[in-house]
Amino acid sequence: MNIQQKIPLLKEAVLIFNDTVNVIKSELRTMFKDRGVVIMLVLAPLAYPILYCSLYKSETLIDVPMAAVDCSRSQESRELLRHLDATQSLHIAGTYSTLAEAKQAYNEQKVHGVVYIPADFSKNLNTGHQTTVSIYADISSFMYYRIINQACSNCVLDMSNQIQVKRLNANGITGEPATIVSNPIPYEGVVLYNEGAGFASFLMPSVLILIIFQTLFLGIGIIAGTSRGENRFHVLVSSSVHRGGTIRVILGKGFCYFVLYAAWSFFVLMIIPRVFNLPHIGIPYDIMMLMVPFLLASVFFSMTISVFMPHRETSMIIFMFMSLILLFLSGVSWPQSNINGFWKTFSWILPSTNGTQGYIKINTMGADLQHISFEYISLWIQTVVYFATTYWAYRWQIEKSSRKSLKTSEI
Amino acid sequence: MPTNKFYTSVRNTLARELRRMVSRPIYFISTVVIMSFTYVFFLTFFNEGQPNRMPIGVVDLDNSSLSRQFTRNLEVTQHSHIVMRLNSHKEAREEMQRGNIYAFVEIKHNFAKDAISNLRPTLTFYVNDAYLIAGSLINKDITYMSAATSIGMQQKVLRAKGVEESRIMGIIQPIVLDAHLIGNPWANYGTYLLNVILPAILQLMVLMMTVFPIGVEFKERTSREWFNNSGKCFSGALTGKLLPYTVIFTLVGVIGNMILYKYMHYPLNSSIGWMFLATFLLVLATQAIGILFIGITPVLRDGVTFSGVFGMLGVTFAGATFPIEQMPAGTRIFSYFFPMHHYFEIYVNQALNGVGVRYSFIYFVALLCFLALPVIVFTRLKKAAINQNFPIK
Repeated sequence: MNIQQKIPLLKEAVLIFNDTVNVIKSELRTMFKDRGVVIMLVLAPLAYPILYCSLYKSETLIDVPMAAVDCSRSQESRELLRHLDATQSLHIAGTYSTLAEAKQAYNEQKVHGVVYIPADFSKNLNTGHQTTVSIYADISSFMYYRIINQACSNCVLDMSNQIQVKRLNANGITGEPATIVSNPIPYEGVVLYNEGAGFASFLMPSVLILIIFQTLFLGIGIIAGTSRGENRFHVLVSSSVHRGGTIRVILGKGFCYFVLYAAWSFFVLMIIPRVFNLPHIGIPYDIMMLMVPFLLASVFFSMTISVFMPHRETSMIIFMFMSLILLFLSGVSWPQSNINGFWKTFSWILPSTNGTQGYIKINTMGADLQHISFEYISLWIQTVVYFATTYWAYRWQIEKSSRKSLKTSEI
Repeated sequence: MPTNKFYTSVRNTLARELRRMVSRPIYFISTVVIMSFTYVFFLTFFNEGQPNRMPIGVVDLDNSSLSRQFTRNLEVTQHSHIVMRLNSHKEAREEMQRGNIYAFVEIKHNFAKDAISNLRPTLTFYVNDAYLIAGSLINKDITYMSAATSIGMQQKVLRAKGVEESRIMGIIQPIVLDAHLIGNPWANYGTYLLNVILPAILQLMVLMMTVFPIGVEFKERTSREWFNNSGKCFSGALTGKLLPYTVIFTLVGVIGNMILYKYMHYPLNSSIGWMFLATFLLVLATQAIGILFIGITPVLRDGVTFSGVFGMLGVTFAGATFPIEQMPAGTRIFSYFFPMHHYFEIYVNQALNGVGVRYSFIYFVALLCFLALPVIVFTRLKKAAINQNFPIK
């Protein structure tokens, strides 16, 4: 009796396995025969990271041209301008005698900012009064403003400190007491995880995760849209497969996407940061452990949505613009703590948010898996939820397909 | 008469296209729904202007009146908000790695005692620049407060040493830096980003909705009917087909301008008419590029792929996120091929800086130059429409 029961079970298992393998085979065939799918699932994840990393590889701005309006024309003002010119960030591209002339140069985009040194600069410095240096910074890109402001602050502060010591000396405070008075509580700001405040080191890790997510999402959308658009009954699953059962279809398809993207994740998240010198202090094992639920959640999320794509182009036309929205929702540029309640909740529906946060925390900030438990657990919850939604969506499609084929055969 | 023929063919195609537009939801979704969603999303997302009161932590091992005063002072800065007090550096670092705080200040044992007895205790703070915007804003706040604490100390000492009150500030801070941000003095992130992102998404959708209506005719093998319906005048057929999208997207873009400059009151230092014109030309130039793409390969899927890649690069090549001139050599030339780049320059000149329109003239001309692009593929597209000899997949 025992043996009698075992044989059908074994047969059943072999059948399920064979069906799943068949799904995998046919899915791989559709994936690699279709030029559009190959572009989206193979070419894009390979080319996009290289393209974007090359465009943003400068990290920071070097020698931003500045106009100088030196009304003081003194030794001190020339010294300050020399210091500014000597910084990595700034370059005094022209000296003008009035603000109006400098403004003209700014309007013609010859310079991105103006340093104005007033006529009484030297006089005030030599008589022990406070004096003011004005800067006008281009803010069309925040990079300009940040760099100009930072370089000018540092130079002015340096010069200020030297003068301070001289003045203390003049007031009879010299030696060690002068150092103490000039800086009673020294402060030290330590920038962590992105020491050079680099733009690429900040933005690219999140872009890399989004490239993985969006190409996967759009690729699956194209595949599903194509099969719905081309099938006789406008349904998702081709009739040769649907007898295999919903779970087998989902597992077979999901397996293909997962394996393909596991390979791309290795390339995009492990190799690209090393080639382009982006932060990579994370432990590879932890990244791998994060990517498993991230890819699974992304695959099932995409498969659920893809059911509603009536044509192959639909997903690209409708969801391409979401890339930008996903970037902001991921909470890297605009901090997650300041995203309002509604959009924060919305962002947690998407696997990309937790994927990006988790990856940045591990890879850029050297966190362990236990530090990102929130992201890790959320991704597993998403995996389970989206697997369930995929199951329902697919079963709905498969049943619709069966009903239709039954009707035709009756006729 | 050729003009009359052109007019009739535009009218016929227009009527046909309007019928097609109501036949499938994708037309409505990708013109009106997506753009409305984009406007609502970004306007509600950046409503704060700058991220305020971001979470930071304090490791106060001193717990003296001086250290407490410093933390209280930090609490009132614009960008920082102390959400946790931690017991050790390790604990604080871990909270930072969890992403719960963006920075923390470490006040060592005997901080107050050392400060009073002239031992110059160091105040150390750690800022997470993996989140660059949060990091640099908080960095500015904490630096400012640290400097202020130091200055307070200095004032006390100098007064005690009998330095004349009027000379104290001259000693503490001989040179004051007075920074002005041209056009956006509040450093408002909404102003900075929305003026680029909204038109960028607009041009992406224009590109999609130029390639799609034409490409779908090839895909569904209806292009010959489209051509015949127009009275065999292809320029008329093309104009009639794209006219509804020109109107819709210009309207949507102008509404976008109105929202930014009239409703949100973002900086607009010249006439709004120039921005309307720039938006209109952006739509036209992008449509021209769309025609070029679908003309190069009259296959819908490839057209859509090109559009996606080009449309997304438009954000990068506008030059707002990272200046073009600091990108690798040669990139600047590429940027000229993106209408977004010229639109962005017009925005910077007209809305942000408010300079004379003669500085923007060249960019308006550049946008107009794109309108010559369809000529390159006109014959090819016409032949493809008549012969229907391209793969449909």
